[in-house]
Amino acid sequence: MSAHHHVEGQLPHEPERATMEGRNKILGFWIFLGAETVLFGTLFSAYLALRHNIGDGPAASEIFELSTTFIATMILLFSSLMSVFAVQAMHQHKVKAMIGWLIATVVLGLCFLGLEIFEFNAYVGEGHRMPTSAFSSSFYTLVGFHGAHVAFGVLWITLLILQILKKGLTVVTAPKIYVSAIYWHFIDVVWVFIFTVVYLMGKVG
Amino acid sequence: MSSNHSVTEGEARRHKVEGPRKHIVAFILSLALTLIAFATVASGEINTQFTYIILVGMALVQVFVQMAFWMHMKDRGHLFPIIAIISGVVVVFTMVIMALYWVWW
Repeated sequence: MSAHHHVEGQLPHEPERATMEGRNKILGFWIFLGAETVLFGTLFSAYLALRHNIGDGPAASEIFELSTTFIATMILLFSSLMSVFAVQAMHQHKVKAMIGWLIATVVLGLCFLGLEIFEFNAYVGEGHRMPTSAFSSSFYTLVGFHGAHVAFGVLWITLLILQILKKGLTVVTAPKIYVSAIYWHFIDVVWVFIFTVVYLMGKVG
Repeated sequence: MSSNHSVTEGEARRHKVEGPRKHIVAFILSLALTLIAFATVASGEINTQFTYIILVGMALVQVFVQMAFWMHMKDRGHLFPIIAIISGVVVVFTMVIMALYWVWW
């Protein structure tokens, strides 16, 4: 398919805001993100309250590896940047470039998930399991929930890529791309708090 | 794009197509803030209290940068997104203070 064949008509500069439906979708998504903020905040509050209750299990400073967290942070930050470029390509109606950036986003998301699985697996080997202590339970719930959001994002964006390949970039598909990019940035924003509050503060003690 | 897209081009001119520059600046800023946070902890030479302050400061600035530029919250027409997120944050603050108070005092 040609990158320009959708432009035949008059696809506007910001196709995601061209229709009332598109604008409402974006607004509705922001309200959802407000609710997501509450969801993650609640898990953060539980973690903050329980993070010193380690029972017989290992403490945060004993198991966390700064290098692993740093690599994960970089992967997610780059992934977020790829998603920014995808939306910019969309605004310029460069469909092929947009798909390329989206694929980069998804691949980096998968790398992040792989690293997280590797990390959790190492923790379990060190006796830090879900039922070990209040600290471990709240840790896995919080970080695992973030991981689940990444997994959902990967699946969602993959499906959107397939839909774009099938239907092209239109005023119907554009809001979906935009909203998924906002979601992906939100996941990165949550990760900023996770690496700060969970990993770095855990390392400090 | 060819000339038969005059409407699109006109639109683009009115909206002034945004370049990647400020997004790359936001990325470099995020990178720097992340590095400062990790370096503070890795060096281990700063006392705990002050490390906490640095970490929270770096995180808040980075989140602000990413939300403003990458999530477009600085752009026009983002009043409701700002209200939605602030409402969420108010509940989160209440939850965090409540949980800490409940368990530790």
